[in-house]
Amino acid sequence: MRIRALALLGIVAGVCLLLLTLQMRGHASGATDLLALFTTPVQTVVSRINRTAFGLWSTYQDWKNVRAENRRLRDQAQRLRVESLRVSEVDDENRRLRRLLALKEALPLHTISGEVIGREWGGWVRSLTVNRGRSSNVVRLTAVIGPDGLIGRIVDVRGGSSVVQVLTDPASTVGAHVVRTRTPGIIEGEPRGTIRFKYMARDGAGMQVGDMVVTSGLGGLFPRGIPIGRVRAIDDRGSALFHYAQIEPAVDFARIDEVLLLIGDATRDVAAQFPGAS
Amino acid sequence: MRTFLAVAFLSGGVAHATLGPALRIADVAPDIPLIVVVMLALRRGPEFGCGAGFLAGLLQDAATGGLLGVQALTKSVIGFAIGGVGSRLRVSAPLVQVPGLVVLSLVEGVARFALLQLFHFPAPFGELMTYVVLPQAIYNGFLGAALVLALSWAESVRERSS
Repeated sequence: MRIRALALLGIVAGVCLLLLTLQMRGHASGATDLLALFTTPVQTVVSRINRTAFGLWSTYQDWKNVRAENRRLRDQAQRLRVESLRVSEVDDENRRLRRLLALKEALPLHTISGEVIGREWGGWVRSLTVNRGRSSNVVRLTAVIGPDGLIGRIVDVRGGSSVVQVLTDPASTVGAHVVRTRTPGIIEGEPRGTIRFKYMARDGAGMQVGDMVVTSGLGGLFPRGIPIGRVRAIDDRGSALFHYAQIEPAVDFARIDEVLLLIGDATRDVAAQFPGAS
Repeated sequence: MRTFLAVAFLSGGVAHATLGPALRIADVAPDIPLIVVVMLALRRGPEFGCGAGFLAGLLQDAATGGLLGVQALTKSVIGFAIGGVGSRLRVSAPLVQVPGLVVLSLVEGVARFALLQLFHFPAPFGELMTYVVLPQAIYNGFLGAALVLALSWAESVRERSS
């Protein structure tokens, strides 16, 4: 048994060495071809099975990867969207504050800035609450403005906050005039949240849609020349004593976050500090 | 059993060239024919191991386009040797299988290199051992142990069902 095994090993080794020697001398192509006759079809079959099996596996893996990647990208998109909103918010705030600061520095008046901390937007009352009050020397009827124009006046002063009656409040009235025609009148708030310009018929000749209306400065409450809005429509009431014009406010009251409170002397003309007031 | 042997031969010789690449891990592919030859030699003795090694190695040589006879010789010697001493080894434990296959793979690698040196094989020994033979030997060790475990599990299931 042992001899037979050794003999087998000897034969095998001999065949192998013979094959190697023949190959080195270039005579083994026959043996290679013979083996290839057997190995090639088997390899082809195995390879096909292999390709099919691994193809399916690979497709499954791809699908899994795509799913995972999809989930990851969705999360990333969500994160970026939130980040983008945050950046955009900061950017907006930055821009608003820059404008407010520029106005504050340009105005020949003593001003303090305030932040809106509350809003009352029902039809009965339209007001804002700002974080400046008695402690900041704010007094009742102080004018409140923004970079775009007049916002309203302080109607209630508290320790650390004040309530601003905005122009659209139904009880709000402000003396104003049309810049181009000098037509004097009164800006009144309306319950539906709009403002109108009330003027005497004889004074309103020549008023046009698009004309700018600014504070008149009469009464000493508001400085002269603060933009209020532009004429949107003129309501000609024929022979009536008073006519009305619908005004498109210069300020978007729903988007106010920061304001300037005009402290002290309010008799100056500030039209030059508002480029749009002409 | 004959079917199993035929499949083992085919998987040893030909499937290595086709399936081997799919089993690559970090550019290291296992030497499936060597594992199969060792397993067969342990079960069937030196003659069978020698014959299986010769056939599997020859098919492997042919399938991979190498020099015919190199792996046939090394694997037949390995098969013969393992078949001869297998009965004296406790090969059922994975702690023996893994290092055993690693050592056998290293021996086969060194033997193949030595044989190829006779035919002026150009690759340097150190690099060949570091980047080819040793990683493959480690892979063979673990894959072989896994195959042995799988095989004994399959056999136990078959025995239970019959």
